[in-house]
Amino acid sequence: MAAFNNTAQKREQLFSKLYQNAFPAVAAYVSKMGGSFDEAKDVFQDALIAYYEKVLVNNTAIHNTENGYLFGTARNLWLQRYRNKSKQLPLDGYGDDVTDDEEAAPSANKLLAYLATAGKKCMDMLKAFYYDKLDTEEIATAFGYSGVRSATVQKYKCLEKVRNTVKQQSLQYADFIE
Amino acid sequence: MRTSLNNIKLAEDYLNKQLPTGDKLLFEARMLLDHDMLTNVKAQRHAVELVKQYSREQLRTEIEAVHQTLFNNKQHRTFAQRVLSFFR
Repeated sequence: MAAFNNTAQKREQLFSKLYQNAFPAVAAYVSKMGGSFDEAKDVFQDALIAYYEKVLVNNTAIHNTENGYLFGTARNLWLQRYRNKSKQLPLDGYGDDVTDDEEAAPSANKLLAYLATAGKKCMDMLKAFYYDKLDTEEIATAFGYSGVRSATVQKYKCLEKVRNTVKQQSLQYADFIE
Repeated sequence: MRTSLNNIKLAEDYLNKQLPTGDKLLFEARMLLDHDMLTNVKAQRHAVELVKQYSREQLRTEIEAVHQTLFNNKQHRTFAQRVLSFFR
C-alpha cells in the first residue's frame, strides 16, 4: 500500500479529518432534501467505507477530490435509499453501495458472530491480508511472526480453519452453500 | 507447506482467476471428479466473503468511534453544533 500507513491510529486520524472536512456538506444536502441527521450519518459512513476500499486500499483512480468523492457517493446513496422512503431501488443502482451483501442469511450472521469471537485472531489476520491488503512483511511484524514465510503459512492455516467452520455449519444449514 | 495448505493456496489462485489456462482447466476437471474438493473450494469462497464482511464491520466500528468523538467531545463542539444546526 502506497502513501498511506495503514494502522488503526492512522485510520482514526484520517477518518476524523475526512469527517470534519466532508460531513458538513453531506449533512447540509440531506437536510435540504428533507432527510434526517441519522440518514446523513448512515450514507456518509458508507461513503467512507467505499473510499477506504476503493481508493486507499485498491488505489482506484478517482477523477475527483477526496471531499468531492465522499459527497457524490453519499448523495447517491441517500437518493437511492431515502428519496422516496420506499424499498424500491432505482434500476441503475449505484456501484458504491457497500451494504448490498450485508443482509446475509441469519445463519451467516450467526457464523460471523461465532468467528468474530472464537476465531478473532485468525479473522484479524485474514482481514489484514484480504481487506487492508497489507504486505506480508507488515503482517508478520504486526502479528508477531518470525518472518514472511511463517506469516504466509499462518494465513493459509487460518483460512483453512474458517473454511472448515463454514463446512461444519453447512451441515446444519443445508442451504448454506448454494 | 503441507498438502492441505497447498490446496488452499491453489484454490485461492483459482478463485482470484490467477491460474494459467492449463492449470485452471485441470483444476476444474478435478472439481468435477472430486466432490469433496468442490465442497472445499465453495466453502473457501464463502470463508473469504465472511472475512470481507467481518472486516467491514470492524471498519464501521472504527468510523462510529470517530463519529462519537466528534459529536460528544467538547473539543469538537463547534463542528458538532454546525452540523446539528442543519437539522433544527
